[in-house]
Amino acid sequence: MVEIRFHSLGGQGAVTLINMLARAGDLVGRYVQAFPFFGAERRGAPVKCFLRMDEKPIDLRSQIYRPDFLVVMSPAVLEAAVEEGTKESTVLLVNMREDEARKKLAGLPFASFAVDGTSIAIDLGMEVEGMPVTNIAFLGAVSYVTELVPLEAVTEVIKESSPPARMEANMEAARRGFTSVVEINKPEAASRRSARGAAR
Amino acid sequence: MRLVETGNHVAAWGARLARVEVVSAYPITPQTQVIEEISRFIDEGEMDCEYIPVESEHSAMAAMIASAAMGVRSFSATSAHGLAYMHELLHWAAGIRLPMVMVNVNRALGPGWNIWCDHQDTLAARDTGWIQIHCASHQEILDSIIQAYRISEDPKVNLPVMVCYDAIFLSHNYMQVEVPDQETVDRFLPPFRSLWSLDLEHPLTHGSVIYPDDYEEVRYSMFQGLENAREVIKTAAEEYREKVGGYHGDLVDAYRMEDADHALVAMGSVASEARVAVDMLRERGYAFGLVRVRSYRPFPAEELAAFLAPLRTAMVIDRSISFGMEGPLFSEVKAALYGRGGVSVYDIVTGLGGRDITYELIAENAVAAAEGGLEPRTTWPSVRINEHHLLSKRGVEGLRGKGGAS
Repeated sequence: MVEIRFHSLGGQGAVTLINMLARAGDLVGRYVQAFPFFGAERRGAPVKCFLRMDEKPIDLRSQIYRPDFLVVMSPAVLEAAVEEGTKESTVLLVNMREDEARKKLAGLPFASFAVDGTSIAIDLGMEVEGMPVTNIAFLGAVSYVTELVPLEAVTEVIKESSPPARMEANMEAARRGFTSVVEINKPEAASRRSARGAAR
Repeated sequence: MRLVETGNHVAAWGARLARVEVVSAYPITPQTQVIEEISRFIDEGEMDCEYIPVESEHSAMAAMIASAAMGVRSFSATSAHGLAYMHELLHWAAGIRLPMVMVNVNRALGPGWNIWCDHQDTLAARDTGWIQIHCASHQEILDSIIQAYRISEDPKVNLPVMVCYDAIFLSHNYMQVEVPDQETVDRFLPPFRSLWSLDLEHPLTHGSVIYPDDYEEVRYSMFQGLENAREVIKTAAEEYREKVGGYHGDLVDAYRMEDADHALVAMGSVASEARVAVDMLRERGYAFGLVRVRSYRPFPAEELAAFLAPLRTAMVIDRSISFGMEGPLFSEVKAALYGRGGVSVYDIVTGLGGRDITYELIAENAVAAAEGGLEPRTTWPSVRINEHHLLSKRGVEGLRGKGGAS
């Protein structure tokens, strides 16, 4: 089983993100489970979501305290995300520019990746009331980092669920998210293998 | 067809496949998605059904009673305060023996205002005469709603059924579900043929004044209806497995009980988490199994006694509290075991107001129970009084000191 915890801000689209990832997981034959910590449904408030994928049906119903992957969609919640619980082999994916990530993530004891999801969203006009909606860029980035669902499965889900007017931009956001992930902290060979290996 | 959906949308599919003709409901978190999805089905012509929007849950159930009394298959959904608000009408629906199905998304009662899971709302509706089925997975929600109509409409039962599932852990969780074909469901669930219905040509009255001469007989008949439901629930589960596929137990659902020395007893989503705890306990050398109470009313007293009486330990997980007593499931499990075997029964009350219950917490307490290290009464393993709670208490004491409150 692979467990991923997402931390974001209300309005970034994290709940839609986990839904789409779960559907992509379903397309490639995995058992899936995706749920938010349901609470403050307000733009800008911290949001926490959980995603599990496994080769067999999932009995767990509790939250995720030691994730294989920790996805942080806003630097504002990075500290809280880490405090919420990790394990030695947790792999981090953070929404940050590369230069900033090299300063802020380098000291953390985790293998880490950065993607500038905010710039991708702004570039492609994905803003709602001033809030860049970064979820589709993260769909691509999570696909790249976790190797749980290939970009083709993600693309398929985007095709199924995007309104025609947004289709092109969504495909492009996912593709850019996938291709622009930067490795910040080289994972220890062993921990990287355990986290990514568990995904197969 | 396989879907990845929330438990709420899965419940809407259950109502759709059951060919429900009237839905009357009032939105309440965390149930709202159920009736939103049904509204969409109706709007897009996928469901031939009348949706009655109402101004309250009390009216929602009143409208359900009216439509069921016309011999129409009826569905509603509610949660927590909504269920509490319609409580009087729950008695009316069961008392005049109307088949219908309602979903209740198990949610804590305020104050403090809380939209998360526990079973206080549902268990407070225990003695209304409704059958209660508690689910642990998305597939079980779908399958149970369809089964519930068979149970409810069986002439030996003729009572309303509440299909219950946990807020957020199931209601807002995206998981896979196999949606059967309509034709397959139709083979299992024939159209509703009411034993009586309101008819202008042949007027009758139902549920009017009953003098002491007859009231007890009416209540005894309801009691018998619930007793009859035991067999009907089993038959429905078996026939569903044969004709549609999918089985989640009947009145109970047992896991690794064949060679167990100890057992966990639980209801709802935590009973799914408890399976993981059982596997973990087995690895540590404790032969635990799990008996999940699927039908809370009728209560599976015989089944529980048969599973638990020969064991050394049973630990009940209660997601609600009977104030002034103990965990309600604990009371009932002990009642079922009265005079049967020497099993030691323990109880943890946890997971109130959506607090997470992990398999680790379950396993830790189960080990303590098996080793005799748990007190033989209701204990609260996840309560942690912290500085924040003490501050509130001191604040009140401070106000008292100043004469601000007394």
